[in-house]
Amino acid sequence: MLRPTTPPDISSQTQRQRIIDAIVESCAEKTYAATTISDIVGGARISRTTFYKHFPDKRACFDAAVDHCVTELQEAAGAAHSPGDRPADATRKAATAVLEALAERPGLAQLLSGDAIAVDPAAVEHYRRATIPALEALWSGEEDGAAPHLDPRLAFGQAQVLLLNQIATGKSDRLPELLPELVYLAVSPFGGHEEALAQSRLAAADATSGTAKR
Amino acid sequence: MIEEPEDLRRWRLPRGRHGLPREIVERSQRERLLAAVVRVAVSKGYDATTVADILGEAGVGRESFYELFDDKLDCALAAHQVLVDDLETRVRTVYTVPGPWPARMREALAVTLQWFAADPEAARFTFVELSTVGPAFRSLFQADYARFTRLIDEGLSEEGPSPALTQATQLAVSAILARIYEEVVLERVDELPRLLPDLTYNLLIPFVGEEMARAEREAALESASE
Repeated sequence: MLRPTTPPDISSQTQRQRIIDAIVESCAEKTYAATTISDIVGGARISRTTFYKHFPDKRACFDAAVDHCVTELQEAAGAAHSPGDRPADATRKAATAVLEALAERPGLAQLLSGDAIAVDPAAVEHYRRATIPALEALWSGEEDGAAPHLDPRLAFGQAQVLLLNQIATGKSDRLPELLPELVYLAVSPFGGHEEALAQSRLAAADATSGTAKR
Repeated sequence: MIEEPEDLRRWRLPRGRHGLPREIVERSQRERLLAAVVRVAVSKGYDATTVADILGEAGVGRESFYELFDDKLDCALAAHQVLVDDLETRVRTVYTVPGPWPARMREALAVTLQWFAADPEAARFTFVELSTVGPAFRSLFQADYARFTRLIDEGLSEEGPSPALTQATQLAVSAILARIYEEVVLERVDELPRLLPDLTYNLLIPFVGEEMARAEREAALESASE
């Protein structure tokens, strides 16, 4: 009997995805520093040879995992708001969606907030560049004219430290608790303190009534 | 300017026979080893640092090292402890005193920025090198974070404003860590004190609103030009 044939590019894609999932899981469990190629290979249920067909080393695999996480979060953020939303509302919805995605897979949060710092500050810069311009774009149509608000780079770093602490404290299953603060941080650089507080309260209210995507 | 942070490098003993009491010799050895692990880890990376490197830098024998520490990690964690204890003591001195809370918060921040600026090696060690030690980093991070949020809350509960966000203190500690981390990575630690006005503004807003935060920003600018 003939074995069902899987097109090679598809099976290769699956393998790559399994490897990425495995490094995310291992980093979440024991940090990047302590993760070995054996951990990744074991978690992905592939051979060492297959690993090296996809990535030259652990670091390259980690970078691919970061890229993958960033893309996933960008998609979640993009799908959460619609063109008709006010910038402040769109920002709140995007921040809420990102936190929900992280809460579903705390491994992503660990990878982005903790391990990226330990591996290479350049990795942090990489996804900061994927985040801040996306937020700025939401506000680009605003004739704001107000004094420049808080520094978005700092807000980004604050969000990262908040997530890292929640994970380090063993509360990675309770990431949604950070929703009011994260929404505040996402809105305040562009909309200012009062607007950020208002959005933060809205997000908290939505979360308790279960209508986050209103 | 505050004086130099408690400088582990100041501890030196003459080599060879000196007839000093045993506990003084041991104390000196311990401090020299702590200073050495910071210096070596910063210059060649924590991961690449060996116990032999630390011994060479400190001028201390292997046997003495293992009487004092289990291993490299133990030594690095002890060095970190000494540094953070010193920082907390200095912050406490200006923060837990009578006076308006926003001004005390600004002073505490000023001391913190000066402390790191005065010792870029300590800054790099705490912020970059220790993050690569593996799982031990998480408990270390959590403990430091909790320590400084507790300290801020202690000063707040006496007569401070009630924060509009429930985790405003966490936002404040996160802002300080994030900013210092960034300056460490960019190797601009010595310029940290210049960030005081903007960072004060940033930290205070969630607690006291824009107007009062702006007033403290002005106060920080004035104290800088004095």
